[in-house]
This record gives sequence, C-alpha cells and structure tokens, in this order.
Amino acid sequence: MARPLNQSPGAFRRYRWKELGLLIVPFMILLLEMTQLLLVPLLKEDPAAAFSLKHLPTAQALIPVLGLIAVLLGTNLLFSVFFPKADQLLLPVVGLLSGIGMLMATRLGPNVGVPTLGSRQLIWVILGVFGCIMTLFLLRNMDWLRRYKYTWAALSIILVGITLVNTLRVKNLDSPTHDQLNIGPFNLQPSELLKICIVIFFAAYFSLTENRDILAGGSRFIGRLRLPPLRKLGPIFVMLGISLLLFLVVRELGLALLIYGLFLSMIYLGSGKFSYVVGGLLLFVLLGFIGYSLFSYVRLRFAVLSIDLVTPGAFNENLYQKSAYQIVQGLIALASGGIIGSGLGLGHPGFVPVIQSDMVLTALGEELGLAGLFAIIGLYLLLIYRGFRIAVEATDPFNQLLAAGLTSIFAIQTLIIAAGNMKLIPLTGIPLPFLSYGGSSVIANYIIIGILLRISHNTALEREGLA
Amino acid sequence: MSLDVFLLILRLLLIVLLYLFLMQVVIAITRDLRKTALASANFEGKAPPVLGHLIVIDSGPSSIVPGTPFDLYPQTTIGRGPTNTIQLSESFISGEHTRLWYRNGSWYVQDAGSTNGTFLNNQPAREALPARPGDIIQVGFIRFKLAN
Repeated sequence: MARPLNQSPGAFRRYRWKELGLLIVPFMILLLEMTQLLLVPLLKEDPAAAFSLKHLPTAQALIPVLGLIAVLLGTNLLFSVFFPKADQLLLPVVGLLSGIGMLMATRLGPNVGVPTLGSRQLIWVILGVFGCIMTLFLLRNMDWLRRYKYTWAALSIILVGITLVNTLRVKNLDSPTHDQLNIGPFNLQPSELLKICIVIFFAAYFSLTENRDILAGGSRFIGRLRLPPLRKLGPIFVMLGISLLLFLVVRELGLALLIYGLFLSMIYLGSGKFSYVVGGLLLFVLLGFIGYSLFSYVRLRFAVLSIDLVTPGAFNENLYQKSAYQIVQGLIALASGGIIGSGLGLGHPGFVPVIQSDMVLTALGEELGLAGLFAIIGLYLLLIYRGFRIAVEATDPFNQLLAAGLTSIFAIQTLIIAAGNMKLIPLTGIPLPFLSYGGSSVIANYIIIGILLRISHNTALEREGLA
Repeated sequence: MSLDVFLLILRLLLIVLLYLFLMQVVIAITRDLRKTALASANFEGKAPPVLGHLIVIDSGPSSIVPGTPFDLYPQTTIGRGPTNTIQLSESFISGEHTRLWYRNGSWYVQDAGSTNGTFLNNQPAREALPARPGDIIQVGFIRFKLAN
C-alpha cells in the first residue's frame, strides 16, 4: 500500500496542501517565541534598553526552531508521496504542541540546572516524528495488531514487571523519577509503552464479535442485578487487576487512574452500556476508599487538596511545609500570569519543583497567561475531536475501538494532569502529552499519532474502493 | 521603541496567532464535515450498486433452497445479526460472520471473527483473500458460488 504516487497524473493535486497551509501559522508562532526567548536576556541586562533591528536574532540562533520546521516540512512531503489520504489536521496540531513543548524546555533548562534541556527535547521530538513515520510504514495491515492480542497482553505484563523490579531496586519511592529505567544515557519509562499495549489489547478483545455479544446482552441475572459473565471477561480483569495492583505498589496513582479510565472508556465503547460505566465508577470509589484507608501517601495526597491559601494557620503552614509546597507554588505561578501572561522567559517558574514535566502547565499559564492556556486547551480539544472523528469513520470495530481508545489516552492524561496542577484532584505525576519534557512520553505519543494516521489512511483507501 | 514594548507586541502577536491557528483548524474541520454531509446525502439518494451475486450451491444443515441468489454490494457483511447486509438466521452462523468488499476491480473475502470460519475454495479466509467469479465461498456450513 506504500506505493509512491509520484508517477500518477494527480500527484500535484494529491499533495497535502491543507496540511502545508495549516503548518504556516505554527511555524510563525515558533519563530516568534524563539525570537522572544532570545531577546529576553537583553532586557534583563538593561531594563531600559532600546530596541533596534540589529537585536533581532540571526538565522544561526534560530537553528533549533528551523530544524523542527524542516523536519515537519519533510514529513509533510513524505506523507504526500506515500500516505496522501491520511488525516491532514493531526500533524499541524501536534507539531505546534511539541514545538511549544520544545521551546518551553529551552526556556526552563537553565532554571532546572540542565542548560541543554531544549536541544534534548528537540532530539526527542525528531525521534518521535521518525517513530511516527516508521509506524505508518510498518503497520500496513491493522490485522497484525489484532491477531496477536495476547502478545500485547504479555508485553504489557512484562513492562509492568520491569517497572516493579525497578521500583524495588530504587529505595526512594518519593523521588519524582522513581519510575524511570536508567539504561546508559537514556531514561526510559516503561509505562509509556504500556498504555499503548493495553489499548491494543482491549480493542482487539472487545472487537471480537462473541465478546461484544456477551457484553451487550446474554448475561446472567442475580435477583434483578445484571452481571457480566465473569469467566468470559477473565483476561480483561486479569490485565486490569495486575496493572492496578502494581501501580498501587509502585505508587503511580496517575498511571492507575489512566489505565482505569481507559478500561471504562473502552468497555463503554465496546458495549454501549452506560450501566457498566456507573458500576465501574462505584467500584472505583470503593477501591479509592480502601486505598485511602490503607496507604498513608494516598491520605497525604488528598490532604493537600484541603489546603487554604488565604487563611494563615498552623494546619495550613504545616501542610505547605510538608507536601503542598509544589502545588501551592504552581497555583501562585498560574495566578501571577494573569490574562496575557508575563511573556515567555519573563516569569519565575524556577520556584515550582518538577516544572519541566509534571508542572509544565503552570509554567505555560504563567508565561502565556489565561489566553494562551485556553488556546492550548483548544489545541488538545481539536486533537481529541479529530481522533474520535477518525474512529467514527473507520469501517470495522477493531479500528474504531483502537482509534477511540488511543485518543482517550490523550484526553484522560490531559485531564488528570491539568486538574492535578489546578488542585482539583490530587496531583499525580503523569506527563502532559507533547508539552512535558521527556523522551519516552514524546516518542510514545508520536507512535499513537502514527497509528491514528494509518487508520485514517486505510479508511480513506477503503472508501475510495467503493467509488 | 524600547525593548519591553517590542516584547509586549510579540506577546500579543503570539496570542493572536495561536487563536488564528485554532480558527484555521476549526474552519478546515467545518469544511470537511460539510463535504462528508454532502457525500452521504448523495449516497443516500441512490442505493449502492449491486456488483455481483452469491448463489447458494450447498445449503448444508440450513433450509435455504440451493440456487437462491443474494445481492452483493461494494461492502457486504454476512451474519446472524440484524445489521448485516445478508442476514442468515442459522445457529451455526456467527453474529458477524464474513465481510466481502470490492476494491480495484476485485472482490475480497475475509472472516469477521466467526466461530465456524469462512473458506475460499476450501482455504480458511482468516486474512483478506482476493476472490474471482466462480470461486466457492463457504460461510459456516453453507457454500456459495461468486457470480457477476
């Protein structure tokens, strides 16, 4: 299917002009932000400095942004040749998000003591785009993903096992990076690959006709209560139980929340029964309560929510000193941003711990302001809308469930970390898709985009066969 | 012009550009939706073309009369469920049993995860297999001949 379309007479018409047109404004935004970042040191040296044209950065200083632009343009050209029918809106949106993430890493690098953070993130983004292209080329036949569903299940269990062993080795469970595997210079997070494997497994399992029949009806009754047949759904619950248990042990509340949310979304999409979601949420509340009474660190996370920033008092002061420091600093940063923000490079994000990954939303809120934050939430909304649109248009249940499940990853992850940063739910360490600094996260997210593009390309090809 | 004024202008320009991009994407999406709506309106106006037939040659344990033709559309599903193009209410046919589709001048047959399987000329059709007129397609225990 990866047949070059250069020779066909419609090659010019087939070019992805829409994608190219949508990439122009993101390029302008990135160049503008980089210019701003380069001018800020001048202002800090001399607050009354006058602006002249010779202050404008040279092309050499803009190399990181120009590199990213070149990579995105190259991807546009490559897609036009090999995958002209794939969705044209995903790449511009994702490119802009990861570009902003890269510039934010550049800006935050000196504050967290790693001056090269920006160029590292740039390398991760380029590797991610490469991974996305490879996914598109390798995944010719989606059936391959469906057929080997137990391989994906086994892979997930292995990834969980690696995480567990690694955690037992690392003594300090409270350090924010305890879930990373350090192999040479790389910090790998197995959890990023785990979420993709789990979604593929759920999609393959729920798309089997007999499993959907079982979910949608034909279940046993106990009194008036309808019970899903537990034996048939065993594999699902085993997967779910293992992941949840391990992440309670490894203390990854965010990941446990993500996996449980994915499970509920996919069971709803597979069966169309709202009662499963209600039941699942009740079960979640019960589990949460058990976790709350068993583990002190869960209690601590919830206690942070009750902190009152305005009224002074021994209780609040104690909480602030002990565990609420990060979130309170984050809230102060958000508040100081105001409507239009302090401007990139002009805020003080250095006070917030782990600003470059988990708390990056507060840095964006401080420097781009409420207006910028809304725009970023808008970008996520469009990304998620487009993902679900691809799912709706797909022709067979497996592709529909897979696209919807992969899109749900972005949705749930963004909700969990954004709500955590704003003190609406307990803060849990989970990256903001494309914006947080982190290699595994960026690469995994680009692989998801690759799968979504492949599904949309296959759907369009199938539709073309109709005409 | 002093530098901080210039930076303020950059800042405002940045926000304007961000919203401009959002607007651009929303416009592209709206245009896309209109096109899809138009295409599906056209599609509903005329019934999909019948591109071929499946003729029963061996009805197995079922009560279908051999020789019965079934119309084939560009996307045809065979199964027990009510959403299938060809609905066969037999106990040995799965809810969604077989998919047939027409692309680039050729028919393709693939099993849709059935219990009793789909066979093209006695070969299990677990993956999509190209089929030509005259080929024997077996759905569960019913055998069909593909005809134009």
